[in-house]
Order: sequence, then C-alpha cells, then structure tokens
Amino acid sequence: MPDVSVGRRRFIQIAGVGAAAATQIGCGRKPGAAGQKLEVPTTCELCPNKCSVIAVVEDGMIRKLNPNPENPKSRGMLCARGNAGLLQVYDPNRLKQPLIRAGARGGGKWRAVSWDEAFDYTGQKLSAIKEKYGPQGVLWSSTEAFAEIFFKNLGLAFGSPNIVRHPTLCLASVNLAYSMTYGTVPSFDLLNANYVIMAGANRFESFITPDTMDLIDSTMNRKTRLICLDPRFTITASKADEWYPVKPGTDLAFILAMLHVIVAEGRHDKEFVATYCQGFDRLAEHVKPYTPEWAEKETEIPAKDIARIAREFADAAPRAIFYAGRRSSWYQNDFQMRRGQAILNAIVGNWDREGGMAPNTKIALGEYLFLPWDDPQAPRIDEMDGVFPLAAKGDGAYLKLRENVLAGHPYPVKGWMVFKQDPVNALPEQAKTLRMIEQMDFVAAIDIQMSDTAWYADVVFPESTYLERTDPVEVLSGIWPVVVLRQRVINAVHDTRSCLEIVQGLAKRLGLSQYFDYTIEQWNDAAVKELPLDAPFEYLKKHGVFTPPGGPKYGATLNPEHRFVTKSGKIELYSERLQEAGHDPLPTYQPPLEPPAGRFRLVLGRKAFYTHANSTTNPWLFDFAPENRLWINPAAARSVGVADGDSVEVASRVGSVRLRAKVTQEIRPDCVFMLHGFGKLSPWLKRVYNRGGSDAAILETSWDKVSGNAALHETFVRVRKV
Amino acid sequence: MHEKRYALVIDSRKCINCKACVVACRAENQVPLGYSRDWIGEEHRGTWPRLLAAFEPEQCHHCTNPSCVRVCPTSASFQRDDGIVLVNEQDCIGCRYCIIACPYDARFFREDKGVVEKCTFCSHRVSRGEAPACVETCPSKVRVFGDLTDPKGALQQLLAAREYRVKKPQTGNGPQIYYVL
Repeated sequence: MPDVSVGRRRFIQIAGVGAAAATQIGCGRKPGAAGQKLEVPTTCELCPNKCSVIAVVEDGMIRKLNPNPENPKSRGMLCARGNAGLLQVYDPNRLKQPLIRAGARGGGKWRAVSWDEAFDYTGQKLSAIKEKYGPQGVLWSSTEAFAEIFFKNLGLAFGSPNIVRHPTLCLASVNLAYSMTYGTVPSFDLLNANYVIMAGANRFESFITPDTMDLIDSTMNRKTRLICLDPRFTITASKADEWYPVKPGTDLAFILAMLHVIVAEGRHDKEFVATYCQGFDRLAEHVKPYTPEWAEKETEIPAKDIARIAREFADAAPRAIFYAGRRSSWYQNDFQMRRGQAILNAIVGNWDREGGMAPNTKIALGEYLFLPWDDPQAPRIDEMDGVFPLAAKGDGAYLKLRENVLAGHPYPVKGWMVFKQDPVNALPEQAKTLRMIEQMDFVAAIDIQMSDTAWYADVVFPESTYLERTDPVEVLSGIWPVVVLRQRVINAVHDTRSCLEIVQGLAKRLGLSQYFDYTIEQWNDAAVKELPLDAPFEYLKKHGVFTPPGGPKYGATLNPEHRFVTKSGKIELYSERLQEAGHDPLPTYQPPLEPPAGRFRLVLGRKAFYTHANSTTNPWLFDFAPENRLWINPAAARSVGVADGDSVEVASRVGSVRLRAKVTQEIRPDCVFMLHGFGKLSPWLKRVYNRGGSDAAILETSWDKVSGNAALHETFVRVRKV
Repeated sequence: MHEKRYALVIDSRKCINCKACVVACRAENQVPLGYSRDWIGEEHRGTWPRLLAAFEPEQCHHCTNPSCVRVCPTSASFQRDDGIVLVNEQDCIGCRYCIIACPYDARFFREDKGVVEKCTFCSHRVSRGEAPACVETCPSKVRVFGDLTDPKGALQQLLAAREYRVKKPQTGNGPQIYYVL
C-alpha cells in the first residue's frame, strides 16, 4: 500500500472549539475524597452492547475509562464513544436540575425547580389526564436501558397499556423473523465462521461490539471469507473479499436465488433438515422460480456470482453465516427478507454449531418480589392485537401508535412520559412527532441532556449519567453469557437522580409508592443471590463482571427430542402461523418501488463514534464528523448540477433539510445517504443545533407489515443546489 | 537486564477507522480539544464500483535518529535510552523547529502552554507495565507494542513472520513503527 496521505490533523480549526474548551475535564464540582486514586469497574452505556470498563478516579474526578479485560465479550476493548463517555459527566450543557417550562412549548424558557416541585407538578398533570381520559391516556416511551424496567413498570402500575419501547425503530423485524422460524433469536459465532455474508449490516463501521472484534480477527487472521452486499462502499465493504453494490430493496431476491441453487443442487444438510425442520418440500417448490438469472435482473449481482456464493456458502456450512444484522427495517417486506435469511441459515444446518448460529444461553437472575399491580384494562392504542398479532405486544409499534394518537383512535392519549429516548429524532417524519407533542396536554422527559424531545417537553427530569448511578444488574445473554454491574463511580456532580429515584418520586405523587418500595441495592441483592459465588454482589463490585466458567457452549438443542418454541416444535421453514395471520408462509419476493425520475432513494447508516442521535455533541467525538453531508455519486451530482461542498436542499414528500453535499464514488448513483444525529432543534445541543440536516425531518412514515418495524429506506428525495 | 527499545508493529489491514485510539489518547493525555497526538490516515481510491479504502494509524515514530531532537536548540526534545522520544516542557521555548523537522507531522504547538506536544508512547503507563492507551483500547488490535530487542517478544515474532515496511526510510530518521503487510 502506498503512503496514506494525511493532512495536518492537529491544526484543523474546528468551529466551536473556543466555546468547547470549557468542557475540558477540570470544571465542575469535585465530589469524593481528595488525594484518592481509585479504579472502579463498571459497565459502559454508550451503546446497547454493555462493554466492561474500569473508571480511573482521582480526587473524585473521573480521569479515564479503560477497558476491563475480565469481560470475555468486550475483552480488552473500548470504542471511541466508550472512551468519550466520561465527558457526559463534565458536559457544561448537560441537564443539571429539574426544569419546568416557563413559556411556550419549544420556546426555550425554563424555570429551574426543586425535585419536589417537579414531581408535584407532574403528578398533578398525570392525575388530571387519568381522571379525564383514563390511565390509557398517558403514553410511556423509553429506549433500551438497564433501568428501563422501573420506568416501564411505573407506566403499567399507573394502569396504562401504552408502553412503547425501541424495537420497532430497531430490530423488531429481525427478532420476529428468527422467532417465527426458530422460536428464539440466536447469536452468530463470527469468531469461528469460515464464510460470512453481510447484506446491509456494517459491522466494521456502524457499531463496534464483540462481533466486530471477532469478525476482523477471523477475516484478517483466519481468512474467513466475507461477502458484503451494500449500496454504499462502507468500511465493511472495503474489508470484504467480495462487495456487491446491490440494488436497494432486492436482498430477498439474492437470498431466494441462493435457496434455489442450494435446494436444486441438493447442497442443503439433508439429515439436519429431516430431523429438525418442517416444510422443506414446500420451500423447495416455492424457490423453483427464483433462479440466479432472475435474481440478477433484480439485484444487479451477476447470476454466476449468486450461484457460486450459494455453493460456497453451503459447502462451508456449518461454519457459514448469513448475518442477521443489527439494524432497523428497510422496506415494508423487511420481515420476509429476514425470514429468508433465517431459512437459508437453517437448511445448511448451521444451527447450534461452532462457527454457525447458536441459541443464546442465559444466566438466571433472581427477582425482587415487588407488589404486583392489576393489568391495564384498556386495549393498546396501536392495536397490536389486530394489526400486528405476531409481534411483541409489550414493545408496541411506534409508527402505528403515532398515527393512532394523532387520530385520537381508538381513544385520546394526552400525556407522554419519555425516558432516555428522543422520539423527535428517532422516528421518521419529524413534523408528525412534533404534532403529536402539540396535541398532548402534558409531556415530560427524563434524560441526561436537553434532547430535541426534552426541548419540547413541559417538565425535564435530569437523570444522573451512567457513571454517577448504580443500575440493575444485567445478564448479557449469548453463546457465552456474562453478568455485568453498572455501579456508581462518583457521586452525582449536579442535582440529578437515577431512573429508580425519579420513578419513586413520581410514584409517591401518583399513589403508587407501594409498588416501588425497594432500593437499588435490594433489587440487585435479589438478582445476584443465586449466582455460584460466596458474596456475589461484592464480587461484582470488585470485578464489574461475572463470567461463568466453561466458555462457549454449542449443541445443547441438537437432540431430536428438542422442541423448538414454534407451533410445530420444529424449525419452521414453512409457517402455518404466518399463513393464519394472513401473511406469506414462505418469503415471497416483492420488487421495491423505483425512484421516480429525478429522485433518489435515501439510505441510512450509522458511524460507531456516534450513538444514534445522541453523542454528536461530545467534544472528543464531534470533530470526526462535525456536520453531516449528503453522500451523492458524481454522476448523480452532475445530473442535478451539484458539486462537492455545495449547499443542497433535500426534499421528500414530508419535509426538507439543508446540508452540504459530499460527492463521492462510494455510493450507488440511484441513492443518497446522510448520517443521523444532526440538524438538531434544541439549542442546548450546541455543536449540532441547526447544523447539518436531520434525517427524521425527511423520512416518510412506512412500516414493515408483519412486525410494524419502521421501514427506513422507502423514502425518495429530490436534491437541489441552494 | 538488557536495554529495552520500545516500538510499535501496526497491522493496518485490521484498522477500521473507528477512532477509539484517538479518543483514548485524548482522554489519557488530556490532549487539548481540536488536537490529536494520534490519528488515522485515510486513502480512498477508484471509480464506482471499483473502489479501495485503506486506513492507517499514525503517531510519532520514536525514530532511532530523530530529527526533532537534532534540531532542538534547548534539548527539550530528547530521547530516552529505551527509544521513547519526549519533550521536556520546562525546557521547551516554543520555537517549533521540531515541528518542521518531523517527517511524520507528529507534533503540534500548544497555544495555552506555549510548548510542543506529541505522542509519548504513554511513557507513564509503560513505566507501570501497561500498554499505551491507543494499544490497549483498540477493538481490532491493530497495534502491538513491545520491546524490539526481546528476541522472543511479540514484535520480533511478528516481524519474523510477516513482511513489513517503515514510512519515509529515506529521511534517515530510523522510524520505529513497523507496518506489517
């Protein structure tokens, strides 16, 4: 490789650095004892992966976060945002005390209040809504967090069925497709696989987890063959042995053609299929028309390559993986595409085998026995039972829910409690989310920073950051499960509280204290007491992580007597339950809509140094991408008269944003791309306020028909130089 | 006990440009905002759809014959016996000759302190027996740090097994970052 050209990196003048200088560690109150140096093991919270970290604390200040090698999943790694997490604590723009809105919603006038006043005010508002509309009149939405259970339980104890969690903005279609096929969602043993297909998943760029570490190791050191399908030349594509710039929306054609070749040539694992799967004959009949030649026309991937990849994949099995990915839905038939992957993995017999897929092993934790409440009486507002009968009911279906709230159907929802989530940026069609806020009588947000949602709320509760609080002990299930503790590293720097403390404060005002009458210590003691350790909680405090001996285990379900949690008890290639629910029992291809003339398909993705829309303000991270730009292929750029660096307007049917163009060879000419987390509405997010464009503002509302998962690649945009 | 010679072996193929090393360094060394002691060089080539992207971690090469040390008028820039090149802040007068002399662009001037700053191989960590922060945190374990004089050490093993190159050998600086191919 020739010398890589490098700019004079450290002299780049970054806008806002002057203002940012105050965020250097060193400001802020110094809690804790002076002259002490401590190393406290805890658990990262910058993404859902929960890597183990060791916080170095000097004089009560967190100086550094180091990786904790004791965790066999995260081992000795901490990614960029994991390293930068400590600046959450010392961010001068973070939320520091409870706030009550003083002017119009979104007007930015706040009154700093005591916790008692914030709780009293919120309690009155929620009680008034309950009085008028019933408990179902309050919506409780949250994203993934160890403490999410407390918030969710408050909503349920309040009597509302309307709990909406993040999966339908995330991987609900993947989870449902694997559940409908295997009765569970497995892990993928990338470390030991010899052949890996990643379609859309971007594990070297969008999300740094043990899967990333395993795959880079196996790809570079063991010569695992990596096949990548992506409309962009991602970092994963750049490291792959083969990259195909697949036509967006046609992945299922590729998968069906692979199935066609494997079945037609008898390359499937016949013994495994006969023993563990049901519906193979119908599958064989179903995939007959899906030839590689047919798929070439759909996918723009040469037929001979599809056929060869199918053969190589089957021959490499069981150490062969069609990786499920860990990202949102793309199209309205996303579930069926994921089902296709699940079926492909099944017939080559990689189930529960080293280098294949393995059911997640769990470690049983004890439960603190709190007083149970009556189940909510009203049906869910998103009509899960009728519209998405197979989906995970407790998680809700976010976009359908928003439609129904806006329509007041089947009943009014007038209160919105939000924990750790930023629906204004997380949901497509931002204007609708803002309308949903407008029609609420009351909105409260619990967060560590003034998110766009918090900006439009009536009350904002400042949560302590993950380094200032103790959370419920968690099990990270997987091929090799571990137990992790997130413990308080330093005392809260500002007047902030943990989720449980906030929930308890609210519960008291709502007359629900009896259901939350415990401390985090009692909760955790109950959780860990059965672990095979002498003093389990002391052990976790000292080590941060408990790893049961024995290492990864495979093959526990490879027993002809094993009953999968499906209707037939077998791996369901053909699904009667899908048919009963009115869906295709075998994945049927539907070609994607073509972009109308002069428009481009908007495709999305993530950079692992930012967590969704949340950490673009971090001083140690923001200069890696200080604004988002619209990726556009040179041929496409010429066609709309746009040059690199030009300011462009990107417009869909639901909105438009302005940002600068990045003219790049690394994207298909029929697509454009932009990074998430920019163009914020909240001025407190200083570095990204009104900087770049928010994808949420232009994404159109669309969802996967089976899971209700937001379909994020169904938007076509016009691009115009401005 | 033999004299140590610290060096890095870097396997750039495994680098995914995730920036973990950059942030770990910023945190470990309290690097002022907007600056970096280490960074990732990027190369993007080709025309759609025949493309190439490559990433390469960069920092001070801790050369055996460091030009930065030679040009320093006050000997603030110096080299330890174990090969680590450092700047003594007390002696640095901020003349910045060393910045110009460095073939790797690895130094920068700190306005707030009036001194030149650069990668130290985390000498304070190394003295405790720990790896530099960039080495430890890397998710794909691109960098291997160690003692080049140890015949059984990880560096010699890697360099014996793999082809490698150094950057700008023609300068005569004797760079001590070995990029395996």
